[in-house]
Amino acid sequence: MPSKNDVIAQMNDIFRDVLDNDDLEINAETTASDVEDWDSLSHIQLVVAIEKHFRIRFTTAEITAYKNVGEMAEGILKKLPA
Amino acid sequence: MMQLKDQFEQVYQVTEQIYVGFLNSYGDNNPLHTNAELARSKGFRDRVMHGAIQAGFLSHFIGEALPEKDVIVHTYELHFRNPVYLGDRLTLRAVIADYSESVRCFEIKFRFYNEAGTEVSRGKVSIGLI
Repeated sequence: MPSKNDVIAQMNDIFRDVLDNDDLEINAETTASDVEDWDSLSHIQLVVAIEKHFRIRFTTAEITAYKNVGEMAEGILKKLPA
Repeated sequence: MMQLKDQFEQVYQVTEQIYVGFLNSYGDNNPLHTNAELARSKGFRDRVMHGAIQAGFLSHFIGEALPEKDVIVHTYELHFRNPVYLGDRLTLRAVIADYSESVRCFEIKFRFYNEAGTEVSRGKVSIGLI
């Protein structure tokens, strides 16, 4: 089972790919307002890419509720097989 | 509503009207598209049709041929595999490959084939429900 930091590191790679920014560094506190080009359309692409990478599915309610990258990472961890 | 693994098929023809319309609309008069002699000298059978014409067919497919009308395209990914020529009838075969309920987004994988059954392009489109 990966750690929360492992998950955030994997999310960072996904963010870099989707947002086409090799210099991007996200952390647990990162929100959309911190990241250039993280808009409503790229948010959809990020969610889809994250779901595919981790082989999970979010609900709309979960996506709406996450306040930052860290909360999404915790949500991912809960969905990963033990 | 569309379901995972739903399949679709649509036939499109690269007509003179489409070809000339594309030339006039976008001004891509590169000799590969307009000069048959040059195209043959490069190993092609005739003037090669603009690949983006297939993107136009995809646009029609998404906007008009799918059962869902309240959709918006997020991304097109289109890989060209073989040339297309004026008059070619292309068969588009598409399948709903994925659906992300959380963000109401479908991924559709597709391939275009010419009348000889040769694949001329493939790719995927992601669309959102609006």
